[in-house]
Amino acid sequence: MNVLPFMIIIPLLGAFATPIVGLAGRRAREAWAVLVSGATLGVAGKVLYDLWSTGKVLVYTLGARSPLGEGGFPIRIVWELDLLSGIMAFTIAFVAFLAIVYSLEYMSHDTGLEKYYTLALILELGMLGIVMTGDLFNFYVFLEIMSIASYALVAFRNDTWEGIEAGIKYMFVGSLASSFILLGIALLYGEYGTLTMAYLAKLMGENFTLTAKIALALLMGGLLFKSGAVPVHMWLADAHPAAPSSISAMLSGLVIKAGGLYVMARIAFSVFGLGVNLKTLGWVIILFACLTLIVGNAMAIVQTDMKRLFAFSSVGQVGYILLGFGIGLAAYGTDVGRVATAGAIYHIVNHALMKALLFMVAGAILHQVGSKNLNELSGLARTMPKTTAALIVGSAAIIGLPPLNGFAGKWLIYESSALFNPFLAAIAIIGTAFCTAAYIRVLYTFLGRPSERVMGAKEPGNAMLVPMFILVVAIIVMGLFPWAISEKVMVPAASMLANIKGYITAVLGGA
Amino acid sequence: MKRTFGALALLFIFGTLLVVANPQHGLKFGLGGEEWEKHRYTDQYYIEHGLEDVGGTNIVTDIVFDYRGYDTIGEATVLFTAIAGAVALLRPWRRDEE
Repeated sequence: MNVLPFMIIIPLLGAFATPIVGLAGRRAREAWAVLVSGATLGVAGKVLYDLWSTGKVLVYTLGARSPLGEGGFPIRIVWELDLLSGIMAFTIAFVAFLAIVYSLEYMSHDTGLEKYYTLALILELGMLGIVMTGDLFNFYVFLEIMSIASYALVAFRNDTWEGIEAGIKYMFVGSLASSFILLGIALLYGEYGTLTMAYLAKLMGENFTLTAKIALALLMGGLLFKSGAVPVHMWLADAHPAAPSSISAMLSGLVIKAGGLYVMARIAFSVFGLGVNLKTLGWVIILFACLTLIVGNAMAIVQTDMKRLFAFSSVGQVGYILLGFGIGLAAYGTDVGRVATAGAIYHIVNHALMKALLFMVAGAILHQVGSKNLNELSGLARTMPKTTAALIVGSAAIIGLPPLNGFAGKWLIYESSALFNPFLAAIAIIGTAFCTAAYIRVLYTFLGRPSERVMGAKEPGNAMLVPMFILVVAIIVMGLFPWAISEKVMVPAASMLANIKGYITAVLGGA
Repeated sequence: MKRTFGALALLFIFGTLLVVANPQHGLKFGLGGEEWEKHRYTDQYYIEHGLEDVGGTNIVTDIVFDYRGYDTIGEATVLFTAIAGAVALLRPWRRDEE
């Protein structure tokens, strides 16, 4: 049975029904949100397993058996999933499920919760729609769904000044970036007359025009913004700390990857791959990657606000992923390029897990102690040992210590960048040094002498601890089999992403 | 400094878009004949097959609700999200209710 449509149907039904189910009271509403996101996780797991076991690109046409009309070109919207989409969808469903379970307790003191769960489910829906789609305009529609839900969720605590400020900032610049993307799509449609990514890729391979180049520049500009790369990262450092922590976990772990990095890889490889000079495009991305690595990690060291530190660290980690994809493009078709792409995909998954964990830890501390200022939180290991243990695992993983999952993904990126260009490897190592310094500082604070502020702190309840420890277990288990995961999942995903012809023929049927 | 740079960047983007809007280098306007067949084959398909495929005489509704109905679900969701977001942000503050 083809379960693929249920990946959209379930969260869509869940989100639209939440206001009605919410009438039955608080318990019903919470149970509904957990049920819906849990069912989505099940569907995403099945889809990922199907994609992985068959190793084929999965195509689904909405409204007909075949995407092609009688003219031999696609006329309907298609979903097109390769292994990378499957991995992204599963990661999204997994982290979103944990974030929703976590918010049962974390958000218990807030009002307006039926809107909160509606928006959280819509956020998940938007991200799933982005990774599934094979149609450029449909991607834009789901990008807007995701963006609007995240604007509202960033400003959800409307009685705090920073929530509203960050929300306004994020909304103004985010809408500008979205309109760049829409302009790029409009130019492509005007030039080639189709919106299906696979067919567009085929036409671009035959005739790559100046208009397509300018459209690519507009799309890349908008997507770099959405992924928080350096010259346009300022919204991220405000939005992620100001959002409720369950939402920061989704924003940092998922939104910047689904809406920014995944689509950037998809557009660069699958859509423009046959037309554009991949070496030039790769070096442009590498340039932004190096800036992002250095600035993001360096800014993380000087922060005193814990969530702001994590937000800047997210910017820094986006740099590694961009570096991986950049090298994958610049060294397209070689082993180095494939390893770099595999490393980038691996790091997307790893960073989603560990940054979700770190933001959940920060949320637990904010919830129990009422402060996220690192200067006030010394000695928290004494009163909140379980939370601190989760923090230690998360920060060790993000630095890339060998027994944990962060190591393998980063190692693939270091290795390939050293083989590609030693200068880039040096920049990556400097970024990691900054990152290590930032997290060591956090750990020292937690292991220090207890301050008065933390003396009365207690551990959070199970609804917050259990999602955190599921993430800890996932990080440790993924860390135990790094090379098996890399060989069996990440390298095939990178090969499928690099196989541009395969992506096209999956829709056009050998045409 | 920043402002000057921003203005220059805007000027540059405007210039490139003017190049795109120039029929000799970029997009063509007022397509007809062969150029219509080359650039607007999808539209031609909808016009020719819309009636028998979908059954509506209005091409735009045929496209928006049948061929590309999934986008319309998405648009409805955008609207729903915007309303949910606006209602969520305009709710009374926590301390006001107590």
